[in-house]
Amino acid sequence: MRRRPWRQRLARTSIRARLLIASLLLVMVALPLAGTGLAYNFRDSVTTAFDDRLESLLNVLLAGVQVDAQNEELHMTRSLGDPRFERVFSGWYWQVSDDDGQTLTSRSLWDQRLPIDNATGVAVSEVEGPRGDTLRVVERDIRLPGHAETLHVSVAASREELDTEVARFEWLLGLSLLALGALLLVGLAVQIRWGLAPLRRMHTNLRAVESGDADSLETHFLPDELARLARAMNGVLERDRRLIERGRNAAGNLAHALKTPVSVLTTLAERFPPDTRDRLRGELGRIDDAVRHHLARASAAGGVVLAGKVDAAQTLAPVLEGLTRMGQRRGIQLTQSLADDLKVRMEAQDLQELVGNLLENALRWADSQVTVSLHPQAAGVELLIEDDGPGMSEEQRDAALARGSRLDERRSGSGLGLAIVEDLMTLYGGQLTLSRASLGGLAAHVWLPASPVAPSGIES
Amino acid sequence: MKVLLVEDDTALAQALGEALGEAGLLWEHAETGHAADYLVRVESYDAVILDLGLPDGDGTRWLAAWREDGIDLPVLVLTARERWSDKAAGFSAGADDYVTKPFETAEVLFRLRALVRRSHGHAHPILRLGELALDTHTGSVTLAGRPITLTAQESRLLAYLLHAAPRIVSRIELSEHVYDRDHEPDSNVIDVQVSRLRRKLGNQRIVTLRGQGYRLVAPEDE
Repeated sequence: MRRRPWRQRLARTSIRARLLIASLLLVMVALPLAGTGLAYNFRDSVTTAFDDRLESLLNVLLAGVQVDAQNEELHMTRSLGDPRFERVFSGWYWQVSDDDGQTLTSRSLWDQRLPIDNATGVAVSEVEGPRGDTLRVVERDIRLPGHAETLHVSVAASREELDTEVARFEWLLGLSLLALGALLLVGLAVQIRWGLAPLRRMHTNLRAVESGDADSLETHFLPDELARLARAMNGVLERDRRLIERGRNAAGNLAHALKTPVSVLTTLAERFPPDTRDRLRGELGRIDDAVRHHLARASAAGGVVLAGKVDAAQTLAPVLEGLTRMGQRRGIQLTQSLADDLKVRMEAQDLQELVGNLLENALRWADSQVTVSLHPQAAGVELLIEDDGPGMSEEQRDAALARGSRLDERRSGSGLGLAIVEDLMTLYGGQLTLSRASLGGLAAHVWLPASPVAPSGIES
Repeated sequence: MKVLLVEDDTALAQALGEALGEAGLLWEHAETGHAADYLVRVESYDAVILDLGLPDGDGTRWLAAWREDGIDLPVLVLTARERWSDKAAGFSAGADDYVTKPFETAEVLFRLRALVRRSHGHAHPILRLGELALDTHTGSVTLAGRPITLTAQESRLLAYLLHAAPRIVSRIELSEHVYDRDHEPDSNVIDVQVSRLRRKLGNQRIVTLRGQGYRLVAPEDE
């Protein structure tokens, strides 16, 4: 398959980046376009106003031009009132001329002349002025009574004033648009953050489900779209749980159904001659091992991934009550010390299994006393079970931790207790150590991590 | 030693019962909780083997009722359920021990004998009275280290007296715990068997207290 890194990268762009890039592009295109449009319109209207002013000056000029009846000489009878027409090369000029060579000019024009455009009506043009600046010229050709020649009347002004005004406007406009752009971007960033907040909340929520702090996603405080998604995810989680539960039940029922016949066969096997009996027992043992193994695996399936946190005291109460009662009937005192409100990240059944098996062993061996304590410790919880029985030598302890071994075939019952505990340790990433108890017998230490670890004990 | 076996699976009850019988135990069988309840209240047993999955209600229910009514005989629970919550429920109801299926007969016998021994207040598996010793695991009897050969009936009789010692055991108690209900002996049979035991163990060990019963004692020179 051909790889398309850019497409992959595009597809994996975060929503926040997508929204930010889209708004950035929008701001970068829309604002300059608006600015250009505004600037164009402004320049246009300012220029028109400038031309109108020149034209009205032209009209005043026209009203002031007179022709001497005798010698047909041109006179200017009134001033235009603006002192800039008197200052030399001020940029404001007027000129009246005919084709005969007669010319009247403003004093500001000095010895220079404005070019004549032979257009009819009012003509606006731009020419180079005496100082090299650009002049905007409004010219009109008229005929006066008593003068044979056509008069070319023009008023001119430097574009400088106009350009300054436009430049100033454009500068202000640019500045405003920049400010607007910045404001918009900040606003968009805030909007994106606010808009994506429910997603972040959902993510945190999902992590809580993953770590076992919550059972399902919270759906009440989410926007409608996400609430629907969360409900759908809850549905999937629930379905998973049901499937696991169903698998467990099926395995449990099967195991249950097989156990009684296996018991019958085991008992009957004892009547056969020794070699037949041993072979039968071997095979029955294999059936039993298989049943236990698959039952344990079914119990473990999903146990770690979806394990919630359980209240230790509440979960262990029935086990401790039962074992205390058994202890009483055997004359053994069971002392318990459980930290209040202690949560353990474990399936309730597995926690009962763990404590039950260890305590049962302790009760079998104890003379008169067994203690159990469960306390938070070093990013996890520590379980300590001690008895005042005979205890074990170091070699015995090592042998006991070898999987599935039987400490004492007669006394430790099925011998599966420690094997089950070891399996649970592998599954939950905990640790079991055996040592000498302060009471004199055996001490079983179990440490369980508070945060999930990848299950390593379950093969596919 | 007389045991009530409460088990609804007839094949298992039959197989286990035969094994118990071969080990020298008397056993009676109840298939339902109701039947067991009746027998426990009317008859005398040394222990009960109780299966939890009964057709007429969970075994723990019956057990809890017995305990509530002050019936204190040792109960060994048989269960196919390995979940600790189930086991714990059994203990809470008043079970003394349990064996999970599938089990070996030896395991059941071992637990059962230990329960009965403890219910008589004996911690050690070998019961001694003077030079007389009974290994409760194997059922073998020795006198001053020499093995004594006894019939099954004599063994049961001696074991019961030894468990109960130094208490006086009445004839009625003996006939209830040591003899099959269908073959209840007249007092003559008990007398005959006691005198056989006396021949094997020595005259001074079993004292007859007229109107009260029998008592096992150690001769004063031991």
